[in-house]
Amino acid sequence: MDIENYNLQREIDTIREDCLRPTRRWGRNTQIWIAILLIIMSWALFCYIHQLRSGLGVTAMRNYVSWGLYISTFVFFIGISHSGTLVSAILRITKQEWRRPITRSAELLTFVSLLFGGIMPIIDLGRPDRIANLVIFGRVQSPLMWDIISICTYFCGSTMFLFLPMIPDMALCRDRSIVTTTRFEKFKKWLYTKLALGWTGTKSQWHRLENTMNIMTIVIIPVAVSVHTVVSYIFAMTLRPGWNSTVFGPYFVAGALYSGSAGVILGMAAFRKLYHLEKYITLKHFDLMGKLVLALTLIYAYLNLNEYWIPAYKMATGEGHLLKDLFFGDYSKIFWTLQFGSVLLPIAIMSFPKGRTPLLLNITCVIIVIGAWIKRYIIVVPTLLHPFMPIQEVPNDWSHYFPNWVEFSITGGCLAGIFLVITLFAKMFPMMAVWEVEEGVQIEHDKLVAIEIRKKREAEEEAKLVAYQEATKNAIQL
Amino acid sequence: MKVRLIHIKSIHNKIICLLLTAILFANISFSQDSVSIEKRAIAMQLAFYKKADVTKIIIATVKGKSISNKFLPLKSMKVNFYVQNKNDQILLNSALTDASGKATLDVPKIIPLDENLNFTIFSKIENDSIYQNAEEHVHFKDANLSLILLPKDSTQTVQATVTEIDKNGNIIPVKGKEIKFYVKRLFGIMPAGEDFTGTTDETGVAIFSYPKDIKGDETGSITLIGRIQEDEFYGNIESKAIAPWGMALAIDKNPFPRALWEPQAPFPLIITIAVLFGIVWSFYIYIVYQLRQITKEGIPSVKSTNI
Repeated sequence: MDIENYNLQREIDTIREDCLRPTRRWGRNTQIWIAILLIIMSWALFCYIHQLRSGLGVTAMRNYVSWGLYISTFVFFIGISHSGTLVSAILRITKQEWRRPITRSAELLTFVSLLFGGIMPIIDLGRPDRIANLVIFGRVQSPLMWDIISICTYFCGSTMFLFLPMIPDMALCRDRSIVTTTRFEKFKKWLYTKLALGWTGTKSQWHRLENTMNIMTIVIIPVAVSVHTVVSYIFAMTLRPGWNSTVFGPYFVAGALYSGSAGVILGMAAFRKLYHLEKYITLKHFDLMGKLVLALTLIYAYLNLNEYWIPAYKMATGEGHLLKDLFFGDYSKIFWTLQFGSVLLPIAIMSFPKGRTPLLLNITCVIIVIGAWIKRYIIVVPTLLHPFMPIQEVPNDWSHYFPNWVEFSITGGCLAGIFLVITLFAKMFPMMAVWEVEEGVQIEHDKLVAIEIRKKREAEEEAKLVAYQEATKNAIQL
Repeated sequence: MKVRLIHIKSIHNKIICLLLTAILFANISFSQDSVSIEKRAIAMQLAFYKKADVTKIIIATVKGKSISNKFLPLKSMKVNFYVQNKNDQILLNSALTDASGKATLDVPKIIPLDENLNFTIFSKIENDSIYQNAEEHVHFKDANLSLILLPKDSTQTVQATVTEIDKNGNIIPVKGKEIKFYVKRLFGIMPAGEDFTGTTDETGVAIFSYPKDIKGDETGSITLIGRIQEDEFYGNIESKAIAPWGMALAIDKNPFPRALWEPQAPFPLIITIAVLFGIVWSFYIYIVYQLRQITKEGIPSVKSTNI
């Protein structure tokens, strides 16, 4: 960077313009995309009403498999929600400067996946009108109760964590929004004004914002870890083959971080491409995020080994039936595909610098995310089909499970909901924390200025030294 | 050929005529059915009870024939109760049946009696739109049953005495009446042993020994019940007495100790959860407070600049 010709204000204006530009235009492609998502969601709503009217019997779930695709998806979404915590909070604490352009998308992914993840158990209820009974008659000693408390706490926390860094950006949007006669523009202006909370950027306001963000950064990490630990307790505190494990808490947390970080990379890549943010989200970001996912995949692989190798060595009766089915039976193909495809293969790819370039890394992350979803299914369903009391004298279809069209439709609707909320958010608000990126540029600029000044001083001192030496030499000669 | 055709036609005509006639008669019979709806049959039973507090009741149990030809209890059926007074019947009261088909009448203390000091009470179902009229009556004499605890030795003996009042107003014993002995439990009565009956002698007295292993309340009290049941002259008579003959009940003051598997969670768990989430939520509240302060500080100087 040529510091002499570098204009900081112009650079800041460019950042602002690049971040706010996508919020001003709703192109035809966006409208078509939203329409498609709404159609999928409407169909899912229709299916859900059908399920409500006719009962859970319209799904493929029966007496033994009462947690099917819905609960698998719930665990998957909660896992994805860890992304925001990891990327944003941990990188913020460790003062990683490269985090700045990607924190917003990570935090948004957390918020949205929690929003829809929280809905999945309600969808799994035959009588959702009784949900209040969980609070009214809930037992504090039940892991289900812990789950409700911790997910609600995490949702509130991650909403604040998303909102706090948005306040200065909302003020920027408010001040730059064009008031036209259209209702939508007026609505946007009103929304930005409300969300900006009267932000004017005073020293006191900055102080309060930084203070609250520091607190949230520290608080949100244990809350996030507790959430996925408690989700694992729903399984681990049940005496069932496959779930009766002491390693389930860290195993779920590691799995969540690994899939969530992969989700962040996909989101990062999508916004980089769609919003032309190549200048801000660089190859360096992919490389560093790739290293992060690689490290998390290694941890996950280690815990995965413990999860299966220890019970497999002992082959206790109950566990043995399940493990034989996973290793050699009906689920063996999918199980080994997951182990090699979504754990070992990503490790192999991401270990090389070329594997951390955008294209290869995105392909790897797609594999990881899909693999993580199927993995949750493998955790939930086979165990339910291998109870300690053998399944006997029941209709044949009770001893098998594969989600039917109702479950796929409703789950697809929730996924469409996630995409819809992300799309609407991205069209309303800047997808990069503008002030944070500006701050990064400012810091970078200050560093360069400091280097330049130091260089000048060094040159001056060197010149002085030369002059002094020259003078001394002349004096000696005289 | 032509003759044959005419013959076939005539057969057709006859069949049609027959069918039409059959349909016509069928319709007539259907219409007759629909016009003259027969009222359904009804069955009524009447029972007389003299309770331990000396109040008397009559219970009428009403069942009606259903569409499936079964007799089922009738709810909200009006039952009129009459008492025989010489040659007349005087209306005492009316009552509606409950879900189990039972209508209850509290018998007045003073009711007309015949020359043998018997009373006759009728129950009637009259002029119901669906069910037939029905009538039932009871004819009983008033008698008294009393229970007295006998504190002799260590036996837990009760003396039951049955008496009635003769025409001269004298109390006279009733001989040869079977009395059944029970103990009151929380949700009903329990026979006091395998053989729980006694029969009155010439003096109207029956002696019965209660078993010693009956569980009582906290103080060891039990309620003894003596009953004359479905007697042809006296109906049902009951008497009660409280005796300190039961085994004192040791009440578990804490039947549900705090535990993971009990309805109430252990205190350490509640405190741990409350403290952990309390800390987190207190931070949230602090942040909301800070946001409010940011709003307060910003409002006066907000200036929206439109570009």
